[in-house]
Amino acid sequence: MSAPEPVHPLAAVARGRHGAAGAAPLRVALPAREIVQVMLRRGQDAAFAAAMRAALGMDPPGPGQAVSGSAVTAIWTQPGHWLLTAARRNEGALAARAAEAFAGMAAVADQSHGRTTIVLSGSAAREALSRGCRLDLHPRAFGQGRAAHTPIAQIGCLVHQTDDAPTFELTVFSTLAEPFLHWLLEAGAAYGVEIA
Amino acid sequence: MLRITCPHCGARDELEFSYRGDATVTRPGPDADAGAFHDYLYLRRNPRGWQVEWWQHNGGCRAFLKVLRHTVTHEVRAVAAATETLEVPGA
Amino acid sequence: MSQRFRLPAGGHVDRSRRLAFTFDGRRFEGHEGDTLAAALLANGVRLVGRSFKYHRPRGIFSAGVEEPNALVELRDGTRREPNTRATVVELFDGLAATSQNHRGSLAFDWMAVNGVLAPWIGAGFYYKTFMWPAAFWERVYEPMIRKAAGLGRASGQPDPDWYEAAHAHCDVLVVGAGAAGLAAARAAGATGARVILAEQDFLFGGDLLNEPELEPWRGEAIAALQAMPEVTLLPRTTVFGFYDQGVLGAVERVADHLPQPPTHTPRQRYWTIRAKEVVLATGAHERLIAFPGNDRPGVMLAGAARTYARRFGVKAGETAVLFATHDAAYDAAFALAEAGTRIAAIIDPRADSAAMQRARQAGFTVQAGSVVTGTVGGNALRGVETGVAGSGGRANAVAADLLLVSGGWNPAVHLASMSGAALAWDEALLAFVPAAAVQRERSAGACRGVHGIGAAAADGAAAGRAAAIAAGFAPAADVLPPDTPAPDHRPYELWEVKGRGKAFVDIQDDVTADDIRLAHREGFSHIEHAKRYTTHAMGTDQGKTGGLVGAAVLAEARREPVAKVGLPRFRPYTSPVTWGAIAGGEVGQHFQPVRRTALHGVHEALGAVWMDAGLWKRPAYYANPGDADAWASVLREARAVRERVGVCDVSTLGKIVVEGPDAATFLDRVYANTFSTLQVGRARYGLMLREDGLVFDDGTTTRLAPDRFFVTTTTAQAGPVMQHLEFHHASAWPDLDVSLASVTDQWAAMSIAGPKARDVVAAVVQGIDLSNAAFPFMAVADCMAAGVPARVFRISFSGELAYEVAVPAGYAATVWQAVMTAGVPHGIEPYGVEALGLLRIEKGHVAGAEINGQTTAQDLGLGRMLKKKGDFIGRTLAQRPGLTDPARPRLVGLRSVDPARQIRAGSHLLVDGRSQGWITSVTQSVVDPGWIGLGMLREGEARIGSSIIAANPLMGEEVPVKVVSPHGYDAENLRVRA
Repeated sequence: MSAPEPVHPLAAVARGRHGAAGAAPLRVALPAREIVQVMLRRGQDAAFAAAMRAALGMDPPGPGQAVSGSAVTAIWTQPGHWLLTAARRNEGALAARAAEAFAGMAAVADQSHGRTTIVLSGSAAREALSRGCRLDLHPRAFGQGRAAHTPIAQIGCLVHQTDDAPTFELTVFSTLAEPFLHWLLEAGAAYGVEIA
Repeated sequence: MLRITCPHCGARDELEFSYRGDATVTRPGPDADAGAFHDYLYLRRNPRGWQVEWWQHNGGCRAFLKVLRHTVTHEVRAVAAATETLEVPGA
Repeated sequence: MSQRFRLPAGGHVDRSRRLAFTFDGRRFEGHEGDTLAAALLANGVRLVGRSFKYHRPRGIFSAGVEEPNALVELRDGTRREPNTRATVVELFDGLAATSQNHRGSLAFDWMAVNGVLAPWIGAGFYYKTFMWPAAFWERVYEPMIRKAAGLGRASGQPDPDWYEAAHAHCDVLVVGAGAAGLAAARAAGATGARVILAEQDFLFGGDLLNEPELEPWRGEAIAALQAMPEVTLLPRTTVFGFYDQGVLGAVERVADHLPQPPTHTPRQRYWTIRAKEVVLATGAHERLIAFPGNDRPGVMLAGAARTYARRFGVKAGETAVLFATHDAAYDAAFALAEAGTRIAAIIDPRADSAAMQRARQAGFTVQAGSVVTGTVGGNALRGVETGVAGSGGRANAVAADLLLVSGGWNPAVHLASMSGAALAWDEALLAFVPAAAVQRERSAGACRGVHGIGAAAADGAAAGRAAAIAAGFAPAADVLPPDTPAPDHRPYELWEVKGRGKAFVDIQDDVTADDIRLAHREGFSHIEHAKRYTTHAMGTDQGKTGGLVGAAVLAEARREPVAKVGLPRFRPYTSPVTWGAIAGGEVGQHFQPVRRTALHGVHEALGAVWMDAGLWKRPAYYANPGDADAWASVLREARAVRERVGVCDVSTLGKIVVEGPDAATFLDRVYANTFSTLQVGRARYGLMLREDGLVFDDGTTTRLAPDRFFVTTTTAQAGPVMQHLEFHHASAWPDLDVSLASVTDQWAAMSIAGPKARDVVAAVVQGIDLSNAAFPFMAVADCMAAGVPARVFRISFSGELAYEVAVPAGYAATVWQAVMTAGVPHGIEPYGVEALGLLRIEKGHVAGAEINGQTTAQDLGLGRMLKKKGDFIGRTLAQRPGLTDPARPRLVGLRSVDPARQIRAGSHLLVDGRSQGWITSVTQSVVDPGWIGLGMLREGEARIGSSIIAANPLMGEEVPVKVVSPHGYDAENLRVRA
């Protein structure tokens, strides 16, 4: 028997245009993701890096950084902690893969249901985010492959820039995803927000 | 409002941090008596000047940091990881 | 109505754009580019308000943010805004303004009797008068004072507009876009630095707006800035505060100049700007001179009249007298003469000066060595009395409807001072200027005493360039300042002309020079004390025109130099900021984020009535159509659990995975009881103390693997517990190899409780033998539930046989439905937090009302949980005599002797009329109907079986209660182990 598909925390949000009807709206996507928290054990730095290279073909990113392999993205979140993210396949698949690859080197906690990623894209994305985000997202200060955790609208948010459109992946606690998205819709209302 | 330069994340607003007081006191060992615990928990120098303080970057990387801050001018002179030691200048 | 004081040409107003507006219901017209004050003057309106205390008639005194008098109520209805300064309100079509602070009409104010009473209501009047009898404080004095105090009226209704926050970062922030600011921004911008230029006015230029021949320089500067991609221009933006580490606050009035904000546009935007370097180019404010009647409508700062003539094309009067102590002020006389105002006389205390000679050559009457000793007129100025400087006598009277005053210029040092810079006394300018910078800021132009447009621009360019270099940029080409003559701003030292009548040092707060002297006589001689005793330099203008004059009067009284007296400390805000802007978007549903569990929609469909638990929304109970009231719902749900089976969403409990080789050691140290002995696949109730020995939190912790534990916390303490664990790991035991991950949001959890719980759970889960032997109380196992991965805990809060089923949150609704379906044959009902509370009170389980930060484990009857061996947080201090005192209140159960009589949490427990404890939690019981509760009672165990009184003086109730064991229901735990 195949497992039923999980309900996305933002499944009830109305798709389509929110706010102004401008020609260059912000675009929001709500992808289904697998998200795994990986926590390094003492003295396992080198072994862990080697294991990640072997399993995912990349080095663990340093503070403020994210790296993307063919299917998995690794984002530094706190000293010794990373989030691994990938498009959703099977329940627990990425966590199982990580647990196997990092056995004895790192603890692994599946957060696929606990974190929700909102992908925000568009030329006005920085300006809209500046209505609540205290980070400097100017291209000279941030950019593709950068990631930082910061409170936005009183909600902790992992901001990860994935391209220069610019596109920002905003990952929040799932139980706070709805108020976060409502804040984003308000912050972007002047430009219009199109939810795919 | 302070800006504190987290050694991991860079300069961030005070709002991202929570204050946890004097970082020079250390928890007594398991054999310490009530007097030692009393001093650890309640006694503070409360200086007018430089102080090494605990701040947690709980809105960012969640690391507990040691911050050398001037309690009058609010100048922040150094920020270090929890395991490091910060000296109070000219104390 | 015609604008009879409007000049035919000149200035920065668009005469082709006519804007209609009303003031006190009268219709007027102005032009685009006007402020409300400019448009009122253009229409000959002089009287615009009544003063704060004496209700004296007041007119327009300035042309900017320093305005003390012309405060009006702007707009009407829900958008009515009090105390807006007409001198900065940008005129728009349809603007409606109303004068403030008068009873009766503006022209005849009954409260002006206060002016007659003035000898008795000077400084300190309220402090001295409204003291006796004390019974009058609330009923008589306060309403009376409240009615008399304040100026405008708030709308009293919700603000229909919205406000937003905005965050900015830059290399160089330039505050002020006069000549210095424009040059600074240009010089900094040319290096490629990220520059923000903030200007409170709606036009850039400052004093440049008064110099038509410099218009090309201004235009070119603005065009150059607009062409720089990394330069952000913020007009209508007031930087109100300079905080630590280069953080500044500003308010942008996005839509205040429009009748209503357009859709999706905020009225105002509250900026927090983080700047590597700051250039302050905030200019200077002209200061008044204290002389009798210096507040009469028609008395105006000289520079303001010049601005009205040059920038707005408005004649502020027909016949003017200039009273000045320095040469630069003479520019006003020339500008007004050019505009067609007759200059009746120039009064100057000095013997001679270059400007005096120029004025005489121009045909003006100049009275050297003389001062203004008084003003004549009622609601408008009719004449000026003059006398010989220093003599005090009256010598002459000059008919005039406009008196231009300039006692010198005060550099606007507010922001520099807030940044931590000391202020230094400038002997030549008789004013304070910023001393050495403490933060990465520098002042340029008039705000540091560099006057004259050319000189200020050169100073600004140098500052902008230096700031950019300091921020790490390579210098670029110079900005050439305009070549202009530099007028002489050095004043003759004249702060006050003494004489009969009120000489104001703070026109807004009705503070006279005599009030300052009174403060000194009564011992309030420090500038900060004098300020508070007299209200000097408070209000919307914060003493911008007269603050230093009051300090000088105090200095004279103290027989000390002004430099020694100083100014009151500057603090944010430099100008008034609306509450709407401060609140920003965090209003209504955005005041705090609402946290919803994965089952929120399910509860909604079931008719949940919500309650707030921190940020969470939790179902308090489910209102069924047949329920008579809330209690009926709660009792029905609890009865279902006791008799059959119920299901409750417990997803809000904090969940933390503690993992690593030292995980068990870590838990042994943070919990008062032991976890290293726990078997894999078993849960244990844990008690966490604070270091002071009081109980911090409780919950169940499960050992999932030898080095992996699943810790649960209470809903309320989930965040604090995580921080507590992180802190002790970082500070006390950094050697322990353990990691902490919050998985609160990953897992949704539901508790299935009741005698039929096993049947229901068995029908839902696969891969697990739920028999008592295979899966006893406190067993935990991973399994499948309704086809999804799940974890089942046999734990109970209700006192019934119960299982907690946790599933990845996205499956919660699926599994809940499966549970409900499986429960149909057993009469399952969902139950909310209220029923959960009822069940745990019956069972005697403690919760937040008992673990309130003041109770020990022993107080709660949990003393035996404290392990005897090994260190743990709180171990040592929990042994202090005060915490181990057997006389401390202990947890007891309570039962209302008359089952129908309600008892209330918070009631005192009286024994022989004396309070011996209190009630923490109450409910109605379903096991033994009636009101029951838990409480903390001295000698509680000894009193079990006795009857005492639950007293609630607030409700006037005294209810007999019986003290019982808190664990009256199924004391042997047979049901949970069934």
